[in-house]
Amino acid sequence: MSTMENEKAQPTRTPQPVTNQHLPPLRPRALPLMPSLDMGDEMPPTKPKKKKSKRESNEVEDGDEPAVERMAPEPQDIPPQKKKKKKKKKTQTLDLEREGDHTQLDMANGGTAVEQSVDGEDEAPKARKKKKPKIGDRLHSSELDSEDEDVITNAAAAIPQHSLFSAPLGQSQPISKVFVERNRRFQATDRTDLGKPSIQTDDYLEITSVWSTRDVALKVHSGFRVMGLFAQGFLAGYAVWNTIVVYVLAGERLSSLTNLLQQYHTLAYPAQSLLYLLLALSTVSAFDRVNLAKVSVAMKCFLTLEPAALASILYFAALILSLSQQMTSDRINLYNSGNGTLWPTGSEQRFLQNWIVVNLVVAVLVGLAWAFLSTRPELDYTEEFLRTMDVDEVPHKEKKLEIPA
Amino acid sequence: MKAALKLLHGPKAGILILLLWLISGCRCFRIPSDVLACGFSAEMLQTNNYSLVLLIQLVLLAYDLFVNSFSELLRAAPVIQLVLFIIQDIAILFNVIIILLMMFNTYVFQVGLVSLLLERFRALLLLSALYLSLSISFHCWIMNLRWLDSNRFVWTDGLQVLFVFQRLSAVLYYYFYKRTAEYLGDPRLYEDSTWLRDAFARARQ
Repeated sequence: MSTMENEKAQPTRTPQPVTNQHLPPLRPRALPLMPSLDMGDEMPPTKPKKKKSKRESNEVEDGDEPAVERMAPEPQDIPPQKKKKKKKKKTQTLDLEREGDHTQLDMANGGTAVEQSVDGEDEAPKARKKKKPKIGDRLHSSELDSEDEDVITNAAAAIPQHSLFSAPLGQSQPISKVFVERNRRFQATDRTDLGKPSIQTDDYLEITSVWSTRDVALKVHSGFRVMGLFAQGFLAGYAVWNTIVVYVLAGERLSSLTNLLQQYHTLAYPAQSLLYLLLALSTVSAFDRVNLAKVSVAMKCFLTLEPAALASILYFAALILSLSQQMTSDRINLYNSGNGTLWPTGSEQRFLQNWIVVNLVVAVLVGLAWAFLSTRPELDYTEEFLRTMDVDEVPHKEKKLEIPA
Repeated sequence: MKAALKLLHGPKAGILILLLWLISGCRCFRIPSDVLACGFSAEMLQTNNYSLVLLIQLVLLAYDLFVNSFSELLRAAPVIQLVLFIIQDIAILFNVIIILLMMFNTYVFQVGLVSLLLERFRALLLLSALYLSLSISFHCWIMNLRWLDSNRFVWTDGLQVLFVFQRLSAVLYYYFYKRTAEYLGDPRLYEDSTWLRDAFARARQ
C-alpha cells in the first residue's frame, strides 16, 4: 500500500531522478508468496550494496531541494527498514525480499526513463541527481546483471499494478523451503524433510491401490469356500448321526416304527430343513470347486473323474433324494395332529421304509463326497479363473503412476 | 398429486424407495469428477461401491436360502408364510435388477457390446427367470392350499414335483448368481483394454 501511495505521489511531468533512495519503503508482507518469486542465495549479496548506495545518496541529498527533501525522509526510512528486513530475513520468506527488489527496480527503471524529460529549472538537482545515478549505476549494474530479465525498457508504460502480484518472467530459483499439501492445507517444510512424507504418501497410495474389485471378489469367494468346507463336514456328520438315530429308534429290522414316529415326529421337519440348508451350501461349494459354469473345464473334470467333480455329482444326487422325501417328512411331522387319515393302521411300514432307506443313501452320498473333497481341499478352479481376470496388470500400474503426476 | 402422495404410503413406498436407492447406488460405479477432487482415487471408490453392492446381493441370497430352508417350520399362521414368500419374491426380483444394473454400468455395455455381456451371463438370466416363475407359482399354490388351515397335510404329487424343481433351481440360481457377481468384479469390464478392443473388432466383423 505504501508503494502504491508513493507511486501516486510521484509527479509525472516534472522529471526527477529516481534512484533506490527515492523508492517507497518496503514493508514486510504477512502472506507467503509463490516459491518461484524467491531469489534464494542471490538476495544477500545485493542488499548491502543497495544500502551503500542509499547511504551515499542520502549524503548528497541533505538540505538541497524540497522535492528531494520530500523524498529524503523516505530514504532515511529505507535503511532502518532494510535493517529490519535483514533481521527478519531469517524468519520471513525470501519471496518478500525479492518482490521488494523488483518493485525497487521497477521504480528505478521508471525513474531513469523519466530523467530524459527533465526541465531547465531542475538542472541543479539534475546535476546532483546525475551524480546519484552515477553512484547508483555502479551499484545498479551489479544488481541489474542478475536481474536483466526484470528490467522494463518501455518508458511510456506505467508501472503495472498487477506486477506486484504476478509471477516474474525470470527463472524460478530453488529455495530451501517448499510448501507441501497435507490434510487440505499447505505447510512449509524444508527440502530435506521432503523425503519422509513422500515415502509415507507413496506407502499410503500403495496400500489404497492394492484392493481392487477383483480382490474383493476373490476375498468373498475364499470366504464362501471356508463356509462351504464347514457345511460339508457338518453335513456329513449330521447325516450319519441322523441315520443312526433313526435306526436306533426304529428298532431291529424296523420292528418298532411306532416308537420311531412317537419319538422322532417333532424332529423330522427341522431335520429336513437343516438337511436342505447344508446340502444347498455344500452343493454350491462343490460346483465352485469344479467351476461348473465353464462347461469345458467341468466336462474335463467329470471325464477325468476328479474328486471335486465326483463330489459335486454326489451332492446334487443327495439333494434330489432329500427333496423327494419332503412329503413324507411333513407326514411324520403331522403324526400327532389328530388326523387319522394320515397314518392308517399298518401304513407305517409303507411310508417309513422308503424314507429310512433314502436317508441312509443321502448319508452315504454326502459322506463319500466329503471324503473325496478332503483328499484335495486346495483344488478350486473358480478361484484360478477369478485370479486370471486382471490380465493387463502392467498398464494398470502405469496408470497408477500417472495419476499422482 | 394425490396419486403421487398415495404412492408414498404403504409397502409400495418402501419398494419404490429401495429400488431408487439401489439404482442410485449402482450408478455410483461412475465416479464423478467432484468426488475425485476430494482426494479419493477412482479405483478406491469403485471398489467400495462394488463391495457394497456385493454385500446387498449376498444378503438377499442369504434371505432367500433362509426362507427356502425354514419357511415350512414357520407356519403357525398363514400370514407369516405369506409375508415371507412375498419378500422372497421381491428379493429375487431385486437381485435380478441389481445384476442387470451392474451389467449396464460396465464399460463393455456402454461401448455397445451388449451381445458380449448377454452371451456371458445368459445362463444366470435364464435361470433367474425360471427360478422366479417357479417360486411364484409354488408360493401361490401352497398358500392357496394352506390359507384356511396351515397345519393341514396339503401335499400332492404335482405339488411335490413343483417343490423339487423350485428347490433345485434355487441351488443352481445361488451358484450362478454368486459366480456372476464375483465375475462382475473384473476390472477389464470397466475400462478400455486391448481385450475389449479385440472383442469390439470381432463384433463389428
